[in-house]
Amino acid sequence: MRDRRLLGSLAAFALLLALPAVVRDTFFLRVSTEAIMWIGLALTFDVLAGYTGYLNFGHSAFFGLGCYTTAILMVRAGWPFPAAAAAGGAAAAVAAVVAGLPTLRLRGAYFAIATWALARGIQQLALMMTITGGPDGMRLPPFLDPKFFYYVMLGVVGATFFLLWFLLERAPFGLKLKAIREDEQGAKALGLNPTLLKIQAFVLSAVPTAVIGGIFAYWVTFIDPASTLGDLVSDQALVMVVFGGMGTLIGPVVGAVLIFAFKTVFWAYLAEYEVLYVIILGAAIAASVVFLPNGVLGELLYRRGPRKPAASEPAAPVPATSGKAEV
Amino acid sequence: MADPILSVDGVSKAFGGLMAVSEVSFSVQRGEIMGLIGPNGAGKTTLFNVVSGYYAPTRGKVVFDGKDVSGKPPYALAARGIGRTFQVVKPFPGLSVLENVVIAAFLKHPRRADAEAHAWKVLEVTGLTDRAHEAASSLTLAGRKRLEISKALALEPIFLLLDEVVAGLNPTEVDRTIELILALRARGITILIVEHIMRVIMRISDRLVVLNFGEKIAEGSPADVAANPAVIEAYLGEAHA
Repeated sequence: MRDRRLLGSLAAFALLLALPAVVRDTFFLRVSTEAIMWIGLALTFDVLAGYTGYLNFGHSAFFGLGCYTTAILMVRAGWPFPAAAAAGGAAAAVAAVVAGLPTLRLRGAYFAIATWALARGIQQLALMMTITGGPDGMRLPPFLDPKFFYYVMLGVVGATFFLLWFLLERAPFGLKLKAIREDEQGAKALGLNPTLLKIQAFVLSAVPTAVIGGIFAYWVTFIDPASTLGDLVSDQALVMVVFGGMGTLIGPVVGAVLIFAFKTVFWAYLAEYEVLYVIILGAAIAASVVFLPNGVLGELLYRRGPRKPAASEPAAPVPATSGKAEV
Repeated sequence: MADPILSVDGVSKAFGGLMAVSEVSFSVQRGEIMGLIGPNGAGKTTLFNVVSGYYAPTRGKVVFDGKDVSGKPPYALAARGIGRTFQVVKPFPGLSVLENVVIAAFLKHPRRADAEAHAWKVLEVTGLTDRAHEAASSLTLAGRKRLEISKALALEPIFLLLDEVVAGLNPTEVDRTIELILALRARGITILIVEHIMRVIMRISDRLVVLNFGEKIAEGSPADVAANPAVIEAYLGEAHA
């Protein structure tokens, strides 16, 4: 069953590989590249949100870190693109450990607020520093080859998907993360070290996000703090994951494609009603949370009773490790 | 009394100014079932949390299997062979019964297929095979308590801490659980058990430790403890002593 799903994913990947040979329309290729990018961002968001139970509103910070590391190394140090993008991933790994150690002690809304604040801080830093170009942003050496970016984006997101599939659905790691999500104190008694597992999940979420950011920066050739470090990446990824189905790998893919397609069509034909887009999107999300608690995918494929949200901490005889942490 | 698996040595645990456990010492011998009893608020669960690593002792030390493990985190103690259940059960509600147990089995079986095979064996022992693919949240209280024991067992512990695994069950379920506990001891697992139901604890324990207001007031065989005036006073009040 699981293997059949993997075969389906491999077939979809092969189809996407063949796409540029069939479709010659540059606009379509560009839209597809961005859709694949959002699939990657939603997938990596779900590692923490769906599997581990942590809503990371600082997801955009890793994306922006990848953008800026790549841009700075290429523009100011003359690095080739692949090395610069890889360096962005490495920077994100370090940042995830540093940011994760204090923030992953928090739970629920406190974690969301802390990561959001951290992302705002990083955005302010990018606005103030000279190496980032401040609010004016940075221009990268233009490389105008849509096929190149399509393949690079597809390669990185595809590799991320299959890596996550192996780690989260095949290897023990995914179940261990779910144990943390369901009951962290109970997980400890079973030999799981929650801090270590959460940091690993954070790194696993951050590194591909930053590499995708690096590709994005080189692709669009211009980045600034508002577009790469703003809330958009976190918010949109959250919406896609919730809409598609949290805690699965196919859910974020479905959510990303549906939401991104809706956005593209809306902006192509109804651009003057931009405000309406946000309203409709908001209503769709509210409705999906109420009526499709397992996401579109969960409703379509599984059709089982609504899963209870992760149980709130009972008044259990466990230590209140650090004030807020148990909320 | 040469080879204790667990020695609790002068352990105190304070929460602010409140001494939940005060200067408690006792040992558990390999292969025995030691009961831990006391009125509500006597400090039984606190002591459990100290022994299983959820609290570091304020004073004193815990020696397990020959090594000082005071203050070691729960996951490190699980790796050393301590399994525990929680009075307020802690299933992973959104996961299946099997997955709940597989997670614990990873400790000794890092490969998923091996862990699953081991989990099935455990479910057979605890009688949850039929419910393996159901969500843990769908189990009844009795089922959840069994799941709690299953998870602790899947760690392949040499020492098991059972916190009120019988309370709240109907008489049939109580008997089944007692059988299970005795079967585990027969397999060589040492057990420290907290239980409120006297009929149960008197029947299965080899020895008992009695706590009251955080202090140890008695230790010995169930018969000795039942006849101990301090114990009777703690449970029934001065008039009966």
